[in-house]
Amino acid sequence: MRYWRSREALLVLPALAVYALLYLYPLSRLGVWSVFDPEPTLKNYRQLIADPVYAKALLNTLEVSFWVTVCALGLGYPLAYLMTTVSARARVWLMALIMVPFWTSILVRSFAWVVILGTNGIVNKTLIVLGLIEAPVRLLYNLIGVEIGMVHVLLPFMIFPLYGVMTQIDPALLRAGRSLGAPPWRAFVHIFLPLSLPGVAAGCVLVFLMAVGFYITPALLGGPQQITLATLIEMQVSDMLNWGFGATLSVLLVGAVATLFVIFTAALGLDRLTGTGKA
Amino acid sequence: MPSARLPRIVLWLFCGLVIVFLVAPILVIVIASFNGTPFLQFPPASWSLRWYVRFFASERWYEAALLSLRVAVVVTIASTALGTLAAIGLVRGRTRFRAALELFLVSPMVVPVIVMAVGLYFLLAPLRLTGSAAALVLGHTIVATPIVIVIVAAALRLSDGSLELAARSLGATWWRTVRYVTVPQVAPAIGAAAAFAFLTSFDEVVLAVFLGGPDATTLPKRMWESMRFEIDPTLTAISTLLTVVATVILAAAQLARRAEERS
Amino acid sequence: MAIKRRGFLAGVGAGAGMAAVGPFFHVRPARADKGELVVVSWGGDYDDALRELVGEPYAKATGIKVKFDTPPENAKVKAMVEAKNVSWDILLTDIPAVLSLAKDKLLEPLDYGALDKKLVEAIPAGLRHPYAVGQRIYAFNIVYNTKAFPKGKHPTTWADVWDAKKFPGGRTFNFRGGIAPQLEIALIADGVAMDKVYPLDVERAWKSMDRLKPIVSKWYVSHAEAIQLIAAGEAVVGCTIGSRATSARKAGGAVDVDYNQGKVSPDNWCLVKDSANKKVALDFINFALDPKRQAEVSKRVPYGPSNKDAFAHLTPAEAADLNTAPDNIKKQFWWDVAWWGTPGADGKTERDRQAERYAQWMVKG
Repeated sequence: MRYWRSREALLVLPALAVYALLYLYPLSRLGVWSVFDPEPTLKNYRQLIADPVYAKALLNTLEVSFWVTVCALGLGYPLAYLMTTVSARARVWLMALIMVPFWTSILVRSFAWVVILGTNGIVNKTLIVLGLIEAPVRLLYNLIGVEIGMVHVLLPFMIFPLYGVMTQIDPALLRAGRSLGAPPWRAFVHIFLPLSLPGVAAGCVLVFLMAVGFYITPALLGGPQQITLATLIEMQVSDMLNWGFGATLSVLLVGAVATLFVIFTAALGLDRLTGTGKA
Repeated sequence: MPSARLPRIVLWLFCGLVIVFLVAPILVIVIASFNGTPFLQFPPASWSLRWYVRFFASERWYEAALLSLRVAVVVTIASTALGTLAAIGLVRGRTRFRAALELFLVSPMVVPVIVMAVGLYFLLAPLRLTGSAAALVLGHTIVATPIVIVIVAAALRLSDGSLELAARSLGATWWRTVRYVTVPQVAPAIGAAAAFAFLTSFDEVVLAVFLGGPDATTLPKRMWESMRFEIDPTLTAISTLLTVVATVILAAAQLARRAEERS
Repeated sequence: MAIKRRGFLAGVGAGAGMAAVGPFFHVRPARADKGELVVVSWGGDYDDALRELVGEPYAKATGIKVKFDTPPENAKVKAMVEAKNVSWDILLTDIPAVLSLAKDKLLEPLDYGALDKKLVEAIPAGLRHPYAVGQRIYAFNIVYNTKAFPKGKHPTTWADVWDAKKFPGGRTFNFRGGIAPQLEIALIADGVAMDKVYPLDVERAWKSMDRLKPIVSKWYVSHAEAIQLIAAGEAVVGCTIGSRATSARKAGGAVDVDYNQGKVSPDNWCLVKDSANKKVALDFINFALDPKRQAEVSKRVPYGPSNKDAFAHLTPAEAADLNTAPDNIKKQFWWDVAWWGTPGADGKTERDRQAERYAQWMVKG
């Protein structure tokens, strides 16, 4: 038995080989730049600690990504659930509609957001006509704008892992629950919800990690408070040609996310939650 | 029984709003694409098809679209294969380092693409591969694979291993078990993962700038170059065309599969 | 049935794979032998005009193929040179980029002796940098929404732009994209005379920037964004490239430019270090600096030509829309390359220092 399982572990090897070549090797070079210039130095790391700006940008990044994940889960879960309960034909259309945002380039999309959310935009005009507000509300170039823009892009990455897991939940279990006298909402909360948690975990991980690496959307739809670490890294690498420091900032970003991951896994028992602990 | 139907109505209503949120900006762009003035405007001041004509008349746009498509197809095949196998290995395999391994395998998602781009350039330059479609394929594969791993691994975690045990006890080799039992079990998730891999490659711009070149210009790179100083309204026509084509293909593929399953 | 389908899908997959992989893995021949030149610029309308009005005629005249690529990303130039894989020959890029590249020794010094003497003399001395020669002139100008402020009642000075009481509404200024913070403009808004801004009083400039910050509704990332924001009324006035406003106005957008107190700077031709085609590249630059050709390009896209003789080929009406026309240029000032670009004792230029400070100033909120 054990033998068989370790055989399957071998399936990781092709990916590992590709990662070693296309990821580890190129990045290790950058890691080396962060401590050589060209002599060994810790000046990049000293700069990192000396200036609170980078810690602030890291916090911005984590804050933006956290709220994006929460919002995407809140909007995505009901939609994924709906997809498991409708007819095949309706599901096809739902899928197509969910994928629609992908086909539009991001700068063009930001033009559309100005049309919809701007101070003279459709939403503000409608709210004023309805008498709900008196003056236009600022929906762009702040945290709200970034959240809207990023959730829009990342929502499919939440919905599909959720849906993938939900379709595997045996409807017989729910029926059994109900036949034992549980009202539908109880059957949902006690049976469906816990079984869908691996999907929740996967969707959240996917959305959070992707959000951390984003820099074009925060720059287009956010304000100074939404400047992310990825933006500063891009500036160092591309404008300032300061690759050593860009690499140092990347080490900080990856390190922070990995630490968060480990803490969450330990604290929430994510391992058990996602079923990896199953022997 | 109104009390039983109420939650259902609320669910539909809520999901309807989410769909409106997803589709609204694209609707704006579709309408703006029929604008007659050489300036992005909403609502359009006059109506015309000039931006569609311009797309089809330009070889540079058309070639870029074709290259993006070819790169994305290869990336989809490569990253789906690699990612699916890795996910099976992670979830079904037994290894001491599973948590660390998983963290490592999904970590490329966090690294800013510009950093990856510089690193990859130094890897590919001595091989004389920069500026080619091959370089784009390699770069996009490393970005798309983690996404496949996360999606497929989630589905695998839910499906129980008992079918595999049964297959093994009936004498199937471990590889045949993977091939004919494990993979079909999570086929929908693999399909979704493949779709995301395709889109990741098809949308990617930073690696496209670094690893591409005058002979390897993808659609997103071409779009960015016409966007630094002005937003070329041709872009709205392209977005509209892509949305329509993709939606039709997706719907047709799904409906065809249904029809086949029924027959 | 299932097996049949699987076989079919595998066949399709393999076919698609072959078709896609087939032409990918060609070994790139050394370009120098092929008689072709790679010119890299930022794209857009101007790029199209260059292809058509300079690239194609040059290819016809010499038989040398000219390929265009975008964008002249600094980091990519550095990667190319360091990896000894230089596939670009000529860049058309701005002074901040030239400074960064020159500091890291990624450009060839420009051999002015190899250029036509008459051409070189027609280009103002300030546009002749050791590593770069000016081609098109852009300027950071006051660009405003004509619905919010009809022409004549619009902000005409930077002090007006800083004054949200007199001219209410949001502002838009640049952040990122390789552009330095607009410190000269901040000083002018604070009352410093246009010809007295250099050397910059940096602390005073940042204090002035502090006053601007609360009224900026959006720090824009690309110039395209700035024009869209102003045209849509999301910002009523801003600091962006005046030539873009002229193009947008001609296309029917509700924007216009005031040249007063504008900051003028060139986009330049420069040679990538270790380019295999240095000789041909210089010949191409010579060709592109020709006054008549520059005039043609400026007619198409309203950037100022660097060659003064180009105005001989333009009508007064055409010239009026260009930032280097005599009437317009006298209201503006030139960006000072020496102040921004001279490396200090720590090896950093003012551009490095101020760009870094800009990011910190922004994030601190």
